[in-house]
Amino acid sequence: MMGEMILRNLLHRPMRTFIGVLAIAVEVALVVLIVGLTSGILTETAKRVEGVGADIMLQPSSVGPIITMSNSPMPIKIKDRLLELPHVRFVAPVLLQFNSAGGVEVVYGIDKQSFNAVSGGFVFHQGHDLEDPDDLLMDDLAAKAKNVHVGQQFRLFNHDWNVVGIVEHGKGSRIFVPLATLQQLAGATDKASIFFIKCTRPELTEDVMAEMKQILPNYTIRAVKEYVSLMTSTNIPGLNAFVDAMIALAVCIGLLVIFLTMYTTVIERTRDIGVLKSLGANSPFIVRAVLYESAALCLGGIFAGVGLSYAVRAGFLKAFPTLAILITPEWILRAAVIAMLGAVLGASYPAWVASRRDAVEALTFD
Amino acid sequence: MAIAATIPSAEFDVIYSGESQGHLRKSVEPILKTENLWKLYHAGKVEVPALRGVNFSVQPGESVAVMGPSGCGKSTLLYVIGGLASASRGTVLVDGNDLAAMSDGERTKLRRSKIGFVFQRFNLLPTMTAKGNIAIAQYIHGDGFDPHRFDVVTKLLGLEGRLNHKPSEMSGGEQQRVAIARAIINEPKILLADEPTGNLDTRNSDIVLEMLRQLNKELGQTIVMITHNPEAVTYFDRVVHMRDGVIVDGVPAD
Repeated sequence: MMGEMILRNLLHRPMRTFIGVLAIAVEVALVVLIVGLTSGILTETAKRVEGVGADIMLQPSSVGPIITMSNSPMPIKIKDRLLELPHVRFVAPVLLQFNSAGGVEVVYGIDKQSFNAVSGGFVFHQGHDLEDPDDLLMDDLAAKAKNVHVGQQFRLFNHDWNVVGIVEHGKGSRIFVPLATLQQLAGATDKASIFFIKCTRPELTEDVMAEMKQILPNYTIRAVKEYVSLMTSTNIPGLNAFVDAMIALAVCIGLLVIFLTMYTTVIERTRDIGVLKSLGANSPFIVRAVLYESAALCLGGIFAGVGLSYAVRAGFLKAFPTLAILITPEWILRAAVIAMLGAVLGASYPAWVASRRDAVEALTFD
Repeated sequence: MAIAATIPSAEFDVIYSGESQGHLRKSVEPILKTENLWKLYHAGKVEVPALRGVNFSVQPGESVAVMGPSGCGKSTLLYVIGGLASASRGTVLVDGNDLAAMSDGERTKLRRSKIGFVFQRFNLLPTMTAKGNIAIAQYIHGDGFDPHRFDVVTKLLGLEGRLNHKPSEMSGGEQQRVAIARAIINEPKILLADEPTGNLDTRNSDIVLEMLRQLNKELGQTIVMITHNPEAVTYFDRVVHMRDGVIVDGVPAD
């Protein structure tokens, strides 16, 4: 009976119900997409670094998990010292250069032989490997997003590059250029931002890292597996706070809309509340009726919000193929719980107001 | 509309069993009794008395019409004896329970089980169908939906064909019959009607009054009705006149 009453009440004002459901849907989608975007980008970045195929990463000291341009690249001769260590099979020095023109990306300056040795080489969709100093490789997703084809020129860091190959995504960066050319452009001759180390056997990673710490005590040495596990929003300074702030904002939107919706509903149904009281409905019954209606509204919003999240993700991925949005059941559930708590909280005051209505005044309300 | 002719008396017995039947009409203990009942409203710092020591009693199975000019306290009396408003002073005994000594929650509980209301403006829930409006009273009462009792009551009031209609799709007379069905669905001890014909034309007024009379005569339903309609009082056992918050007389209608 309560269910029928709630359903009929919701259907009685379809526009108000639609606005309420939409607000909750936006709240849920915001939470799911903001978290999905941050975790998606982090996870995708981690997967690409893992895709390089190295066991160990060597970086300058005090480097956070996010790989960007280093202000203090390391001497490239470190490569020779690393190769002398037991169980080190290959070492690939890479100079990273941050590019913010036309998007945010990290360009890898690579030494073709060593990088291919560590990674096993690129899988080419079109073209061939780096051969000349001005050659550039781009992964398939970036090429699709930028509409770049083999044979055309591509301007980057105020330099014209020849796009010679489109490669399968997933090996560190989306754009690769020769190490020597990037060193020259960056004014970092004989420098590298990161060394990818491949061990003779993966299980020897710990041993090699211990050796590395002996000879390079002031550097950041991480196993790639550890790096992947570090790529979460909690390990990125400020990111967690940003995500929390966005979630709080989304919750506020939902809470305020539900508050307004239910408050106007309670005002509009003042006489109905009087009728229910005349029939013997007590305060908990009235509170339950308002809260359940709010919860039903919220439930509709949650389903719509999940659908909206997937629709927005599909639209984003079509427009920006390099984006990664990770929608997980865990965060859908969290967003649903957050929305439901917000809805109940938002409806609490209207419910309380309704339950406190004087029955006689309510019955004579116009 | 000849209600009694359409409803077999056996069906009345199903919904109105035992003590609320007419044979208890001569019971010594009144089902409703007020003693020195006062109700004061506050307009700022000023106390405005709506009831000024009302002494009033109704026997089980009796039908009483309360008449008086606007603002004399009729509706206030109805709300207080129905437990919707609290008494400022005095006692209100409903089936032996003193409402004046009860909390709001206790009055609500008593109202749920012993009082049925019919209002001038019908006061049906606009989003619900006729069926929903009647069934919700059963739901609030706590017994759940009783299809048999529901069928008997709706048949009694001639609502079978209108159950799936919303109030906005029904005439005033039909809406008031739904309101009466809602009021009696839980077998209340007392039916309180606040000008139930006030919004109806003559034909529908007669139908509703005839139904109330049938409920009283055939089923022994105790009824207290407020009315401005002089013709309405002929349907009732007794007429009580109020003026300035007090009862000024109490004479048999006939």
